[in-house]
Amino acid sequence: MKQLFNTILAILLTATAFAQADLLQKANELYTRDQFKQSIDVYNQILMTNMESPEVYYNLGNAYYKTKQYTLSILNYERAKLLSPDDEDISFNLQVANQHVVDSIQELPGIFIVRWWNSLVNSQTTDTWAICSIGSFIVFLVMLGFYFFAKTSDVKRITFWSGCLLIMVTISSWSFAAKQKSRLVNHDYAIVMQPTVTIKSSPSEKGTNLFVIHEGLKVRITDKLGNWLEIRLADGNKGWLPTDSIERI
Amino acid sequence: MIIKLKALIVLMFVGFLAMADNVQFTMEGPDVIAAGEQFRLSFTLTENGSDLQLPDLSNFDVLMGPSTSQSSSIQIINGKTTQTSSFSYIFILRAKKEGKFTIRPASIKINGKTYESNSLNIQVVKGQPQMAAGQSAQPGNQQQQDETPTGIISKDNLFVHIAVDKTNVFKGEQILATVKLYISQNVPLNGFDEVKLPSYEGFWTKEINIPTQVSFTREVYNGKIYQVGTLKKTILFPQQIGAIRIDPFEITCLVRQRVRKQQGFFDDFFDNYRVVKAKVVSDPVIINVKNLPNQPANYSGAVGNFSLLGTIDKSNVKSNEAVTLKLNISGSGNLTLINPPKIELPTDFESYEPKTTDKTIASNNGLSGSVAFEYLFIPRFAGNFTIPAVQFVFFNPSSHQFETRSTEPFNIRVEKGKDDGGSAVVNSYSKEDVRMIGKDIRFIKQNKAKFKPSGSSFYGTFEFYMIYILSLIGFAVFYILNRKKIKESANIALIRNKRANKVALKRLKEASVFLKSNQAEKFYEAVIKALWGYLSDKLSIPVADLSRQKTSSSLLEKEIEPEVVTELMKIIDDCEFARYAPAAFSGTMKEVYDGAARVMGIFEKQIK
Repeated sequence: MKQLFNTILAILLTATAFAQADLLQKANELYTRDQFKQSIDVYNQILMTNMESPEVYYNLGNAYYKTKQYTLSILNYERAKLLSPDDEDISFNLQVANQHVVDSIQELPGIFIVRWWNSLVNSQTTDTWAICSIGSFIVFLVMLGFYFFAKTSDVKRITFWSGCLLIMVTISSWSFAAKQKSRLVNHDYAIVMQPTVTIKSSPSEKGTNLFVIHEGLKVRITDKLGNWLEIRLADGNKGWLPTDSIERI
Repeated sequence: MIIKLKALIVLMFVGFLAMADNVQFTMEGPDVIAAGEQFRLSFTLTENGSDLQLPDLSNFDVLMGPSTSQSSSIQIINGKTTQTSSFSYIFILRAKKEGKFTIRPASIKINGKTYESNSLNIQVVKGQPQMAAGQSAQPGNQQQQDETPTGIISKDNLFVHIAVDKTNVFKGEQILATVKLYISQNVPLNGFDEVKLPSYEGFWTKEINIPTQVSFTREVYNGKIYQVGTLKKTILFPQQIGAIRIDPFEITCLVRQRVRKQQGFFDDFFDNYRVVKAKVVSDPVIINVKNLPNQPANYSGAVGNFSLLGTIDKSNVKSNEAVTLKLNISGSGNLTLINPPKIELPTDFESYEPKTTDKTIASNNGLSGSVAFEYLFIPRFAGNFTIPAVQFVFFNPSSHQFETRSTEPFNIRVEKGKDDGGSAVVNSYSKEDVRMIGKDIRFIKQNKAKFKPSGSSFYGTFEFYMIYILSLIGFAVFYILNRKKIKESANIALIRNKRANKVALKRLKEASVFLKSNQAEKFYEAVIKALWGYLSDKLSIPVADLSRQKTSSSLLEKEIEPEVVTELMKIIDDCEFARYAPAAFSGTMKEVYDGAARVMGIFEKQIK
């Protein structure tokens, strides 16, 4: 009985996957024929099924860019980048789209080791890190086996040190995977969707106006209170804004 | 002689023809007159003619005429003598009734040939009372003026009017504005003083040249005859949308007035005149300017009707040679306001700002003529290039729509220019960076996408942890199994050792009994027996066939060390010595026993 249920579920899943592939192809054809508005509709239709892929977000971002909706295109490029951080095309188009953003934020320099660390963590997806962690763990176990049953001291020495290294790789890629996963799940970053947003000093309309940001800017969400979110800009400035003025990536 | 005469006749004939062709016969008269008014009708002729046939003048009274006059002039310019003469016939006529009349052409004979004049249209309007009375009506008018001693002349008699040919226009459409001065016939005008021109704010203006000397023509306005002088003619191009007001035109006229003083004796005979300043102001004019309908993207502000001609001075050039593309826009409209049309040059071409040549004439028909744009560019590299057709979009106010004129595409073949070999400068090949012409996003990804539920990832799933756990379990199982095997293999050696000792001890059991009871002879016999029995079992050789040689050789074959074999032989010797010649034997029973047990143990371990 259970087996039958599983089979049906598997068939259904593959069927929907086929449907999405067909829709994607249709949307791509529309895009190629310069019918950007129609292609946007079809891309969104794919995403409505709660299935995603970096290609869909990237192509949707392109379609938005072509219809001059730069903010939406930035949002979708960011989403694509989240799923596929090392894709060069996505980074390039995001950079082009970001030129339409009014605000120029000077990023805080930060310590170079931290920057390297972050760029290392962000260079791969959570799945890649997870597979990396598993792979290195298995190799570690093999090394451990060699260490235990080796007869000569040379083999023992080599396997000991490589085993140490591998267990470190395992642990760090595990933690990277966890970090990437939390980015995917928590949606800490967001794009400003309203043309201009005034940032308040406190989560209420009466708060002092601190500064004004414009649409398309990427901000980091640091806190939440009712309908207000505390955000932090790349230059370190912080303030509160209404929830509906930004869209989580 | 005859030939000469013939030539002369031919020449004379030609000259005669030429003269005959130059005959001009014109009729002149006023356009507008009042009924009962006298006027001149004159016929002018450049040759002496005869038999003037007058047209039908039944609508007019011929008061006098014809009176003839003749004038001639001789001009000598750079030795060229030209003689012009004119003969005129003048009639004085008077209109009988109101209406529009056409005077048919008159005809005249010159040297037997008949020439016809032009025809004339004359409008006769209702005569004003003072008009009808002619000069004698002046005093009546004078009294009117005396009633206004400040010298202000009634608006009916003197006014300025700005006439525009249209008041509802599109933005950029040209309007002809004429400033006219209307003077009633009985107002003697002496001259003008301060003239304040309207500023024409909101318009781009172009003045039409008219003679500085104002010439007056007769015109009917509101059923009254006026002397009308054109003061200014301007072409206006509205630059704003909405109702634009043209400011009034102000002019101060100097009018001569007769002052009559009743009390003086001479005053009845001599009139006193004074010059009065009369300031006249025109009514403001409102022009409604409509915006152009949906403008095409490449529209640059031209309004009118134009034609476009594009020429290129050469289509085969060498690189680094200049090429000129000339666009000539001709027609009528706001020509001087036209921006140079954009031409799309290949990006490798070096181009310069276009040169604009304005050949426009402002006339009563508006601004017309042509504007030429010269684009100079230099192809820097060889190849075949095409400059796409130049499009020029303008708004045609008469058809109310945008029209496009375009040229043919221009093909340019650029050949490699000669390098200046003679120059002392060392040629350095300059490398060029790839120029980025445009910036755009990269194209969409066409490859097959791998879909997965949003927010899902391999990390953190059951499978992820299971792989860890399973691999750990796998390792543990491997470890345990391996350990056990090692242990087992170590045990086998131990057991063998144990078993070997056990066999040896079992064989020597009998001997050990005799050892304890200290029965020497029986002990050695038992040891010998045990050894031979063991060797027979181990080497699978019957006891009867066993000899010392055979035993040692087969033991050596089984890779037993020679020392052990020697030791075995020594033990056997010792036992035999002890049995048969106890005196010669120096060892003890214990030594023999241990030696035999040890040797057998070694064999048990090494012989499989």
